[in-house]
Amino acid sequence: MDTHVIEARGLSKRYGATTAVDRLDFRVEPGRVTGFLGPNGAGKSTTMRMILGLDLPTSGSVLVNGRDYQGIVWPLHEIGALLDARAVHPGRTAYRHLHSLAAANGIPRPRVDAVLEQVGLTSVAHRRVGGFSLGMSQRLGIAGALLGDPGILLFDEPVNGLDPDGILWIRTLMRSLAAEGRTVLVSSHLMSEMALTADHLLVIGEGRLLADTSLDELIARGAGDRVEVRAVERARLAAELREVGAEVTLEPDGTLQVTGVGSAAIGELAAARGHVLHQLRDVTSSLEEAYFRLTEGSVVYRAPVPA
Amino acid sequence: MPGTSKRISNGSPPVPGPPVTALRRGRAVLTSEWIKMGSLRSLRATALTGLVFSVLLAFLVCTGFHSRWHSLGPETRAAFRPVDTSLGFLQLTPLLFGALGALVVTGEYGTGQIRGTFAATPQRPLVLAAKAVLLGAVGLALALITVGFAFLVGQGQLAGTAPHASLGSSGAAGALLGGALYLTLTALFGLFLGVVVRSTAVAVSTLFGLFLVLPVLVDNLPKGAAWRHTVPWLPSNLGYSLWHSPAPLLVRATPAGFALAGWVVLLAAGALASLRVRDA
Amino acid sequence: MSAHVTEPPRRPEHPQVRTRLRPRAGATRLGATARSEWIKLWSVRSAPAALAAAVLVVVVGGFVLGAGYRSGWASLSPGDRRSFDPTFTSLRGVQLAQLFVGSLGVLALTGEYATGLIRTTLAATPQRAQVLAVKALVLGLVVWALCTAASFAAFAIGQSQFTGPVPHASPGGPGVLRAVLGGGIFLTLVVLFGMALGALTRSTPLGLASLFGVLLVLPVAVQLLPGSVGERVDPYLPGEAGSQLWRVVPPSPHSLAPWTGAGLFALYVAVAAGAALVLVRRRDV
Repeated sequence: MDTHVIEARGLSKRYGATTAVDRLDFRVEPGRVTGFLGPNGAGKSTTMRMILGLDLPTSGSVLVNGRDYQGIVWPLHEIGALLDARAVHPGRTAYRHLHSLAAANGIPRPRVDAVLEQVGLTSVAHRRVGGFSLGMSQRLGIAGALLGDPGILLFDEPVNGLDPDGILWIRTLMRSLAAEGRTVLVSSHLMSEMALTADHLLVIGEGRLLADTSLDELIARGAGDRVEVRAVERARLAAELREVGAEVTLEPDGTLQVTGVGSAAIGELAAARGHVLHQLRDVTSSLEEAYFRLTEGSVVYRAPVPA
Repeated sequence: MPGTSKRISNGSPPVPGPPVTALRRGRAVLTSEWIKMGSLRSLRATALTGLVFSVLLAFLVCTGFHSRWHSLGPETRAAFRPVDTSLGFLQLTPLLFGALGALVVTGEYGTGQIRGTFAATPQRPLVLAAKAVLLGAVGLALALITVGFAFLVGQGQLAGTAPHASLGSSGAAGALLGGALYLTLTALFGLFLGVVVRSTAVAVSTLFGLFLVLPVLVDNLPKGAAWRHTVPWLPSNLGYSLWHSPAPLLVRATPAGFALAGWVVLLAAGALASLRVRDA
Repeated sequence: MSAHVTEPPRRPEHPQVRTRLRPRAGATRLGATARSEWIKLWSVRSAPAALAAAVLVVVVGGFVLGAGYRSGWASLSPGDRRSFDPTFTSLRGVQLAQLFVGSLGVLALTGEYATGLIRTTLAATPQRAQVLAVKALVLGLVVWALCTAASFAAFAIGQSQFTGPVPHASPGGPGVLRAVLGGGIFLTLVVLFGMALGALTRSTPLGLASLFGVLLVLPVAVQLLPGSVGERVDPYLPGEAGSQLWRVVPPSPHSLAPWTGAGLFALYVAVAAGAALVLVRRRDV
């Protein structure tokens, strides 16, 4: 049996005429943080609810550790989720909220104190959660996700509304959970956040999977690295670079944007042909550029999946 | 926009708001509350339910009497009052009007919108007054339509076989106005109750308890001195006095109207105190 | 941002984690769900408050109605005296208590839907029908135990008021013990009805409106109908059928027998609960 794996096959969800999720195929692997990236309304939350058996797929399936979620007897021991931090009864204390969840999965009571300690809510454990700030609620939701010591963790937009300290805390937590060998799936519409947290990305737009790849590959392939060159005889340099197979564009500001040939090769060629260079610079594209390229063209791109 | 840039470049002060007078303030709050009320689906649904339920019940009851008139005993026929019969729905419709009033404010507490409302207009009694004025006006219009329509439909069904009344019949106009007043006052009752309890569930349960269950419990108790001094003054019985032909032991229509208004004023005072003392 | 992007790639070179936590030895799915619902019931103020209010109105109702009949006995007509039911009179607080108990049942479900907590509940226990059934079992048992006790207390207090010319009932009288037990059973059916309607509507106002509409509004509306039409329909309404169980003297010649009426009410509840159990499996939450 697969352990700590989420696998979707042809996963689709339609609400009347609108298709929220459209034939998703993906596999979320352990030991890394997988970012689930897409604009608001792309179908991320719907997918997460289907993983948790809350929404039922119109067609296709999504399996947790090889099983349908609704067939898992003690789910909190296999997968923990933070969906909506405000989804608690405001009149219940943090401790009782977690205690009721623990009881539902045969989790011993001392574990409640342990997760409260881990998320830093021990001092407010016996306060009603209605008075909690969004940050405290978010921590309580994470405590609930960690309660069963699960091998898989799901976080839906965990940094929404958090202060910088809280964001750093969640980021560190997710990285350490993945480092322990757990499977971490985190959704976000913030590309900057994904760039800092995720190793692997599932990019989704209008319900369809646009990319399933590592962060670095997405950046490399999504936009492509390029070299920016300033030369005295730029027209001649451009022609000579094209001869060796580079793509060159002449920008209005006088620079040459070169792709297909590395900066070292350009420098050697320039020296051999007697060029005077004023600038030779590697430009690394950002995740944002890669992302916009993906979503604008809605190009389905997929890296080869390791067996 | 040339106008904007010109003003900025001249360094003139920002555009002042309109001068604040009590009248303008009141009008602004009224407008804001009016927009909110008109855009709430639950209010429209409750109002429509009240209208349809009342007319339907008047229709069913009067059709029943029409078709079975010849099989009714002589005592039943002698005791038959066409106006009272067609307005029988007034034992139930006040619940819907009360719920309507409560929803005007409990909906805002439920969603937390009330904080936005009080942030925009920190004069909380003014907000409550605006809600009450609008609810009173809308409620009265709605009540008149509901009662009048149900009455006409009911009498139309009675016509032919059973005795029936028209708007000009003696006591008919008074009963209709009394019924409309009863409905309007329960709507206001619901509004102030909603401010005090701040929860749709509690407000609706309280209305059911006060207007439906309590009368069932106490109306049939032995009519001792204690009964005569308390039970006729319950809101449900005061309302009954307002639209029904005079019943033994109950209060007459005019004092009943004042007494029911007194209940509403009492609850309004409670609501105002609650607004002053508690955090939103 | 780009500085972070160029960090060395992280690869899943760690061995898979061995999670150590296991469900408690001997934990059963059913038992765990029951424990969880039990904790939830007592950890918010509204449920204990509604239960306390229900018990209070049943007991206080026994006293107030008892005192009312004792002081006003002389003013009753001979007909009213003949149809006087001392057991039913002392238990009539049940009519008010059904508001608290019914609201509690509706809110037990709609409250979870309104806050979104239902998602957390069903993620922890994906066996949805079991969650619903166990919730009903836990709340039903609590209501039954408390309201049965309240019924006995109200009966005792009420009968102690009926002295002198006012007839009183003793537990050994025909149908009396059944009626006192019936108070608790009726309120248990009301809470289950409320839960079923709450699960069907998933909205507090709609759930309350449908429950009280059926239990309280419908009888009044039916009574407005002329002559025998109302009398014939009335006994088959859920609330009217169910309340025969805690009466000794039937209110009308058309009334159903106590257990027949209770059975009919239970049937209405079962139909609503069955619909709720089917729908909860199919609907998205």
